[in-house]
Amino acid sequence: MVSVINTVDTSHEDMIHDAQMDYYGTRLATCSSDRTVKIFDVRNGGQILVADLRGHEGPVWQVAWAHPMFGNILASCSYDRKVIIWKEENGAWDKMYEYTGHESSVNSVCWGPYEFGLILACGSSDGAISLLTFTGDQQWDVKKISNAHTIGCNAVSWAPAVLPGSLIDQPSGQKPNYVKRFVSGGCDNLVKLWKEEDGQWKEDQKLEAHSDWVRDVGWAPSIGLPTSTIASCSQDGRVFIWTCDDPAGNTWTAKLLHKFNDVVWHVSWSITGNILAVSGGDNKVTLWKESMDGQWACISDVSKGQGAVSTITDTQQNEQ
Amino acid sequence: MKLKEINRTAIQSWSPAQHHPIYLATGTSAQQLDASFSTNASLEFFELDLADPSLDMKSCGSLSSPHRYHKLVWGPYGMDSQGYPSGVLVAGGENGNVILYDSAKIMAGESDVIIAESDRHTGPVRALDVNHFQANLVASGGNESEIYIWDMNNFDAPMTPGPKAQPQEDISCVAWNKQVQHILASASPSGKASVWDLRKNDLIIKVSDHSNRMHCSGLAWNPEVATQLVLASEDDRLPVIQMWDLRFATSPLKVLEHHTRGVLAIAWSLADPELLLSCGKDSRILCWNPNTGEVVYELPTSSQWCFDIQWCPRNPAVLSAAGFDGHIDIYSIMGGSSQAQSQRHADQISHSFGNMDPFGTGQTLPPLQLPQSAAPPATVNPLKKPPKWIRSPVGASFAFGGKLVSLENGKPAQPQQHTPHVVHISQVVTETALLKRSGQLQATLSSGGFVDFCREKIDAAENEFERTVWSFLKVNFESDVRSKYLELLGYNKEEVALKVSACPPALLSAEPDANMEPGYLIYFFLFLFDFLQDVDGLITQALLTGDFEGAVELCLHDNRMADSIILAIAGGAELLEKTQRKYFCKENGKLTKLISAVVMKDWRDILQTCDLQNWREALAAVMTYAQPEEFSPLCDLLGSRLEAAEDPRLQSQACLCYICAGNLEKVVSSWSRAQDGHCPLSLQDLVEKVVVLRRAVELTQRSGPAAIGILLAEKMSQYADLLASQGSLSTAITYLPDNTNQVQLRDRLIRALGQQAAPAQTHRAAAQLPRGPTQPTQPGSALPQPPFSPVQPAMVPHPAAGAPAPGPSSPASAPPQPQYYQPANQYPPGAGGAPVYQPLQYSSAAPPQSPPAEPSSLPHPPGFLSQYTQPVPSQPAAPPLYPGQPPVSQGMSSSHPPFSPTSSSFSAPPSSGAPFQHGGPGSPVSYMPPPLHPPPSGVPGTRLDAENRSVPENYTPPAPITAPILTPLGADTQAQPMSSGAPQAMVQGLHGAQVQYSGMHQTQLPSQAKNPPMPNSSMEGAPGAPTGDAVQPLQSIPAEKITKKPIPDEHLVLKTTFEGLIQKCLTVATDPQTKRKLDDANKRLEALYDKLREQTLSPAIIGGLHNIARTIESRSYAEGLNIHTHIVSNSNFSETSAFMPVLKVVLTQANKLGV
Repeated sequence: MVSVINTVDTSHEDMIHDAQMDYYGTRLATCSSDRTVKIFDVRNGGQILVADLRGHEGPVWQVAWAHPMFGNILASCSYDRKVIIWKEENGAWDKMYEYTGHESSVNSVCWGPYEFGLILACGSSDGAISLLTFTGDQQWDVKKISNAHTIGCNAVSWAPAVLPGSLIDQPSGQKPNYVKRFVSGGCDNLVKLWKEEDGQWKEDQKLEAHSDWVRDVGWAPSIGLPTSTIASCSQDGRVFIWTCDDPAGNTWTAKLLHKFNDVVWHVSWSITGNILAVSGGDNKVTLWKESMDGQWACISDVSKGQGAVSTITDTQQNEQ
Repeated sequence: MKLKEINRTAIQSWSPAQHHPIYLATGTSAQQLDASFSTNASLEFFELDLADPSLDMKSCGSLSSPHRYHKLVWGPYGMDSQGYPSGVLVAGGENGNVILYDSAKIMAGESDVIIAESDRHTGPVRALDVNHFQANLVASGGNESEIYIWDMNNFDAPMTPGPKAQPQEDISCVAWNKQVQHILASASPSGKASVWDLRKNDLIIKVSDHSNRMHCSGLAWNPEVATQLVLASEDDRLPVIQMWDLRFATSPLKVLEHHTRGVLAIAWSLADPELLLSCGKDSRILCWNPNTGEVVYELPTSSQWCFDIQWCPRNPAVLSAAGFDGHIDIYSIMGGSSQAQSQRHADQISHSFGNMDPFGTGQTLPPLQLPQSAAPPATVNPLKKPPKWIRSPVGASFAFGGKLVSLENGKPAQPQQHTPHVVHISQVVTETALLKRSGQLQATLSSGGFVDFCREKIDAAENEFERTVWSFLKVNFESDVRSKYLELLGYNKEEVALKVSACPPALLSAEPDANMEPGYLIYFFLFLFDFLQDVDGLITQALLTGDFEGAVELCLHDNRMADSIILAIAGGAELLEKTQRKYFCKENGKLTKLISAVVMKDWRDILQTCDLQNWREALAAVMTYAQPEEFSPLCDLLGSRLEAAEDPRLQSQACLCYICAGNLEKVVSSWSRAQDGHCPLSLQDLVEKVVVLRRAVELTQRSGPAAIGILLAEKMSQYADLLASQGSLSTAITYLPDNTNQVQLRDRLIRALGQQAAPAQTHRAAAQLPRGPTQPTQPGSALPQPPFSPVQPAMVPHPAAGAPAPGPSSPASAPPQPQYYQPANQYPPGAGGAPVYQPLQYSSAAPPQSPPAEPSSLPHPPGFLSQYTQPVPSQPAAPPLYPGQPPVSQGMSSSHPPFSPTSSSFSAPPSSGAPFQHGGPGSPVSYMPPPLHPPPSGVPGTRLDAENRSVPENYTPPAPITAPILTPLGADTQAQPMSSGAPQAMVQGLHGAQVQYSGMHQTQLPSQAKNPPMPNSSMEGAPGAPTGDAVQPLQSIPAEKITKKPIPDEHLVLKTTFEGLIQKCLTVATDPQTKRKLDDANKRLEALYDKLREQTLSPAIIGGLHNIARTIESRSYAEGLNIHTHIVSNSNFSETSAFMPVLKVVLTQANKLGV
């Protein structure tokens, strides 16, 4: 069952492009073509405008909340080629950092797992991906992957923090040596995986299956299994689920979740990583779940925030 | 930003939008010559591979052509039917020809690439367009106002849109309307545009501004508004683009003026109607928003004119521009840096000079530094307005707690109107069944209605195993536990009574032993005839019902001296004395050996060596007889053996042993192994059982503060996670164990619930120190109270009942108080070396006295289910406790931890007796205290034949679940009608490190109470009794064999015959159970042989046995059985009971096996 528990009238003056809840699900950040970012307190079904952040000079495409252990931090990216990192200090939101290193629209921002510290990946229409790392003292270290996706990167999404190799062999007492990885999708129809090695970002994998722009990618949260899972969606209407069982992360297999009749704009994994929300050009949101036999099935059509949930996976389970 | 370039002077056409990958077709342009002055013409295909960072485009096929081209259009005709998988390329040639090429064939290098060709046009064909709706229709325009509509399905007969326009002029452009499929527009250099309606087959409107300066080089329909079109003028005097609306066709709607010289070509983006490209003789390429007239972008171009420009239909950000400088350039309109390309360009030139070391100087040349003619690799600004295709109109993202955030943008932004821009926050629930069950469980936990809960579970159980587990769990929360167990095991009091009354009087009179009450005897005979198994069965039944005396009698008859002694010990002093007398009569001088054998016998050995098929018996034995402190380890031992068994059915039973051991952690591991942990409902199954069992264990208080093991913590965390994912946050947090690794989840839940908890930091810090499982947590931790408060009333602490002073109690003092039996001997704490049994300490159940208060009460760890574990108020009724046991503090408040570590002190003072003066270990006789907590019900695990028959083959009856579900005194309110004000025992172990077996919290019985006056009551109190192989080690103490006499020769034939028969059966028998039975029988028949040696059998019986032997020889087993029945019915029970049942088993088997 998908039921609306709160409808927030954002009062944005133009199209909203993104809405994200914070880590606890108590605050909502929205961004719009009206160049603003708004933050609402939505606890208990309410909607109190906490902040109206102005600073962008173009449509704001995405917002992303940092992990709360770093404070209340929100990143936004815009067609104005800027990335702005906002921070709440003493109840007031202000710019913490403004990054202007891209030459075209910045389409996607995504914070890395908190284990990596405060690190933000930004994908731009200039084809580059920037990685901004907070080094303390108001300083941000910038690394840039040029020409990551020719004519544009549309989406970035971090891999959950897992240790290389097995989870068991980590010697205790040592600082965990996480391998930082993320996935990106772009106008070259490619899904690319990136890995940091010796402080340098390298292309790790190139996943080809889409025949048109990759609109969004989502690396599924770790559910304790060694499998890595990525969802990608495209202008071609297709959504692929990529999985990799091999600890080295080299062998990825694609499974077609569905071919929609319209562009698929976004994919989003549930926190527990078992449900995928797919938003398409027909303004429909569908929810997908993997059945026990590994098939993805649509369990819900959500329209205006409401929809039934079919128990297709349950029946499949029972039949087995 | 320039993406690619092709060194050709050519016109171009992109592959259709449907086509993947993207190709660009180029054809040698008709009206330009390059510096070679070559008039050769060709058609070429290039792939747009954006993954390749170089500027080169990969050539994918070419065709040398006799024609040069004015116009190329590439349509999707035939792509869907696979007739032309790459569509059809339509070319307009110099000489009036229209040629259809099969693109796929050209790219495949095949020769017959022309689908059709016509030279119907006069003059060059400069205008071509493929209909948007019907890919088979192509419009072409030539000289002399010639416009033809070609149907590719019927190429030979082109149509005309209507009568030729007059005056005749060249057609420079044709374009199909993007909204209405039968509308076509044409334009000519004269500046006039005509709109044709093909259904009317006529010209419907002419568009002209009468300036006579328009010189139409380009014509394009608005992709969205059917009535709008633009015309571009090539005339340098009027370098404009006019936008016309046919609804007002007298003058242009808008004029786009920015070019300084004539416009050569225009292209309107289908992906974003607000983007119109134009290129002119001023060498500029501009991108307009035709609606506003604003130039939103200017491409950085070389100084050469561009004569053809095309949007890529598939990749909306890509366009191609063909220039007179001999290049076709591919650009992205999204801006970006061209630095990389410049550098590559330099590299290319550098490479062209030969790599590395052309002069042999031994030095690598530096990369060639190109003089930068153009401006530095300037950053190209993107479009002033974001193109439509990157404006995401929708979105949905998940948030914590199964919430889904989705956008609703109303209609596409119409700036004038206010459209609501709202965000929906929805709750996604996918595990409806789980939430429902979780709700039921919550309700049960808060209401305490465990009995109903268990009953529902029993009704809903899908298999016998589930049903049994829930049945046993349910019993915990009921009164009269023992009889309930007995019923579960198939002993129904009423039924037994019926059988008794139906028993033939002959049997009654058959009992010679005056020491046994006739009622019992009948009862045993009943079992004899019901099950007719063997003497073991009988003994088992006797033990089951708590009739030690009967059991001893049977053992004596069976010449099982060791057994009888052991049992007598359990039966109390009087019986022991009597048995000892009998034993001494029978056996002389073996006493020492036997004693040591008995005393040294260690249950651990038995459990380690017993046949796992008899695990139930073994468990029952342990349950009944094991020392309190070793009870749990023993159950664990058996459980781990079962778990390691190869037979999966045995494996699954392991958890029952763990239940008995009260080892939640192992139970969880065993259960979770058997279940699919990924299925939410099976996790719910697990949690339900664990929670109920845990509650039961807490009620018994036998494990002290319930520890959350790692595995259980993990499962609970998983469960909490699952609940959280379904939005059930407040419930989720109650399941999060204290020592969870899910610190983040806790913090998240707390904050999500909007509670102002202690700073998250606290949680983190706390969690980094893993708590020892038994380490109590301060109740004042940062945990918020679970949102719903337990419904249970707070616990009223019960002062521990004043225990009577140590020392034998007088039986008389016992009565109205319920009595409990002390199930096991207690090793004195200090006893090192060989264990010595402590004499049983009888304490009378004294009425509640005000006990000394126990000052230290353990704080209870908050968190995990803490609200459920709040002790419920129990009636003041408190049963007697052990002597000397410090009772719980009277002042304990409800805030006190529910897990009151109870330690029973088994402070039985050593009695000055012989070692045999044991307190009855597991003395089974206990009176059911009417409503009070039952004693640890040693539920017999004996498998009864009747029961076996009634259950499915694969059903393994559960082991008795006893110890952990013992209800501690005063803890179970539901079942406590009684009240006596006795305090709850909440004491630290008196014996230091000694683990207290809190489940065995009973007063010992006065010795005289051991002989139950009524059969029924004896049944109620019957603990499990060891039977069968489980007690083999005991039985195998063959004291008698030492003094064996030879069997008289005349009877030797009996032995050889019976043994021979058993051997024959053994060779034929296949299933292990039968083999085991036969092996057993072989041993048991020793009793017969002994009697033969002793020559104590009556002649009638001897004769009968010889008759049986003869029938065996003739293989007439049925007849043998008849004789057997005759013997049994006519002989003295005590004389034959030791071997006749065994013989019957052998005969029956022989008959069945047909040996």
